[in-house]
Amino acid sequence: MLARAAADFYWMGRYLERTEHTARLLEYQLTRLVDTPADQLALGWRVVYTTLGHPVPQVPTDADEAEVFLIADAYTLAGTLVEDETNPNSMISCWSRARENARQLRPWLPVRVWTCLNQGFMWIRDCDFARAWAEGPAELALEAIDRLHLLVGVVDAMMSRDDAWRFMELGRLVERLQHQAVLLDTWVRAGQPSNGPRLSWSDLLRVCRAYELYRRRRSIQVRRESAIGFLVRNPELPRSLRFAVHRIEQLLSGIDPRGARYPLAPPHRMAIRLAASVEMDPGNENQAPGDELDSFTALLRDSRQLHDLIMATYVNYPVERGLPS
Amino acid sequence: MTVSAFLGNGFDDEPRACAAGSGAFADYDLEARFYDEVFQTDGKPRESCRKLVNSLARASADELATLQEGVARRFVHEGITFTVLGATRMSEHIIPIDCVPRVLTAAEWDHIDRGLRQRLTAMNLFLRDIYHEGYSLRDGVIPHELVLGCPQYRVEMRGLKVPHDVYVAVCGTDVVRTNNGFAVLEDNLRVPSGVSYMLACRSAIKKAFPRLYRAQGVREIARYPEHLYTTLTSLGSWGRDPRVAVLTPGHYNSAYYEHAFLAGEMGAELVEGRDLVVHDAIVYVRTASGLKRIDVIYRRVDDDFLDPVTFRSDSLLGVPGLFNAYRTGNVVIANAPGTGVADDKAVYSYVPRIIRYFLDEEPILANVETHLCREPDGLAYTLDHLEDLVVKEVGGSGGYGMLVGPHSTAAEREAYAARLRADPTNFISQPVLDLSRASCFVDGRLEPRHVDVRPFVLRGREDIHISPGGLCRVALRKGSLVVNSSQGGGCKDLWILRD
Repeated sequence: MLARAAADFYWMGRYLERTEHTARLLEYQLTRLVDTPADQLALGWRVVYTTLGHPVPQVPTDADEAEVFLIADAYTLAGTLVEDETNPNSMISCWSRARENARQLRPWLPVRVWTCLNQGFMWIRDCDFARAWAEGPAELALEAIDRLHLLVGVVDAMMSRDDAWRFMELGRLVERLQHQAVLLDTWVRAGQPSNGPRLSWSDLLRVCRAYELYRRRRSIQVRRESAIGFLVRNPELPRSLRFAVHRIEQLLSGIDPRGARYPLAPPHRMAIRLAASVEMDPGNENQAPGDELDSFTALLRDSRQLHDLIMATYVNYPVERGLPS
Repeated sequence: MTVSAFLGNGFDDEPRACAAGSGAFADYDLEARFYDEVFQTDGKPRESCRKLVNSLARASADELATLQEGVARRFVHEGITFTVLGATRMSEHIIPIDCVPRVLTAAEWDHIDRGLRQRLTAMNLFLRDIYHEGYSLRDGVIPHELVLGCPQYRVEMRGLKVPHDVYVAVCGTDVVRTNNGFAVLEDNLRVPSGVSYMLACRSAIKKAFPRLYRAQGVREIARYPEHLYTTLTSLGSWGRDPRVAVLTPGHYNSAYYEHAFLAGEMGAELVEGRDLVVHDAIVYVRTASGLKRIDVIYRRVDDDFLDPVTFRSDSLLGVPGLFNAYRTGNVVIANAPGTGVADDKAVYSYVPRIIRYFLDEEPILANVETHLCREPDGLAYTLDHLEDLVVKEVGGSGGYGMLVGPHSTAAEREAYAARLRADPTNFISQPVLDLSRASCFVDGRLEPRHVDVRPFVLRGREDIHISPGGLCRVALRKGSLVVNSSQGGGCKDLWILRD
């Protein structure tokens, strides 16, 4: 696998995951437009924007004022996340970058995967946001999610489990790990004791598509510590931190040209360290409420370092190190 | 009736063949000046096109429109694009495709095939000669200064042993037809493009006309990538499977889709200059698991941008040391550097003499009459007849920088004349050709449009392979003679019939 192509697959995976993450958060927020008090919605927008790494918008905090601007604000705030091409993290920007990566990967990419990605991109590019909003704000986010899931399915059905697939999956899971860590961190901070509005823990589970599983495995009554622990360590949940780290480790084993023999490649070592952290720290029953925040910060720092190590080991390595022995 | 039903029935053994000017061809305007690929001068369809005409004649405009849309949609979804350099940004365009195929008989193709083989054989001998002994220059076959003064002549190639003397391994020659028969409009011996569109067109049209395609007995072209791979790897000897790379300038290049397509189809690496490293005169590609040796480079970048150490030092696209690795024989580069001298538009006019000199044969395919502006007579003639001529830059391509006299304004001609006088060596002129016309579905009607064809020729160690087909380019604007995709042209499928 060409090093540049590996990087393109990796970034393609990251951008697709980022688009889906944005779409899920938007769907959560836009579905609540109908019946949620305005001050809670305002808090929701702050959490969504913080999680996605955007500057936090100026949303009215006063309940009455928030009520007046509710829909207008929502339209603008959602538009920035969907169709604003000047915003590098908007859905259209991320989809476009994923497509640009894919365009450079045409020789390695099955035609159906490209077609599916390209059709999705053309759909969002040609989408009339104002009209879609009039038809139902959350529908647009839902359709985006469906299209992205379709693409994941086509990838699953069409791609060989070679390095191309591994790097793409790696990109998706590194992005997921980072996003989930930020989301948990932001949600926990937003839920710190205060007199203001709160976000519910069951909503957090819903955003992470974990609510049904939680209800089955644990209880219909969602407790804070239990929800955090579930989202960190449940092995069956595709968006738990443990799931992501475990898959990352497996993928790195496959990518390592030495066949994961010791000494392990630096990204692989970092993945093992992340696995240990996820196992031990955040949401642990012995941790005092609020202490999770330090763990999330450490996790995020390590996951960013993991990204740097992947690039340094497989893409930007010095020539002398790459020469055949 | 559905489109597929209409396509499936009624074309065969139809007693009444629709004529030009009736039925679906009601608006079809036959002009004796132009050879029509579909109809004879009396308005009856040519024998080879009878099934096609009958099939089309049964369709309503709506059915044809549906068919056309289906074919175009396929191109859109699959991202079969070319990039156009705009004033401020690059834009990606879908190449327009016309759903009506052009048909050539086996005999017509045989003539073209023999002509192209002869031409490419002579060109390779010519290139070998000008970079070695120079007999053709000594014997005055072609003016000394025209070759040695050509910007595409690479002194670095002098005396260099090219594997099996194959300078041009991949060639795309533009062939046109007039009432006088077939002629070569230009040779593309550097980095000919369009073969992916040829294959994409075929794949789309085959689906649109499945039964007609089968009934017509059309020769297959799908194995081109395999032939290309065989050709490229035949140029060296390795004790293992050689590693082939397609060298592209990058995804901003207009033909990037094609580079990616060919690499994918051949199972080759698609590399940019930055992916390659030369160490101890060996070329490596950076992979995720270290550096791997590259044996053959099918380069789709111009000579200038191959190696900043040897050619243009300001090139960011090239690979430092690549030419040295080539000179050492550690890598095969196809086409070889320096082949551009043979497809220079001024050298073009000497090709018939080159064929006679090297092969002692008469050219099978004619050349188009060409006036060299570097010669005083040629310049005077060109300036006097600007209104009737097509004037081109000798090193130009893609339809850029040319003047089509009859379609130009007085001001444009005046500006062009000034350029001509300032640097006459840079221009040639040719008469406006009465290009043949083929049926196209335009604006809801079947109408004739001017076409040419670019067949693709492969020259390996031992033999020449020509795909029975080619990129049939069509000037979709009514009356236009410019078929380049960057200038409003499109493409259509070309069917070569079996005997």
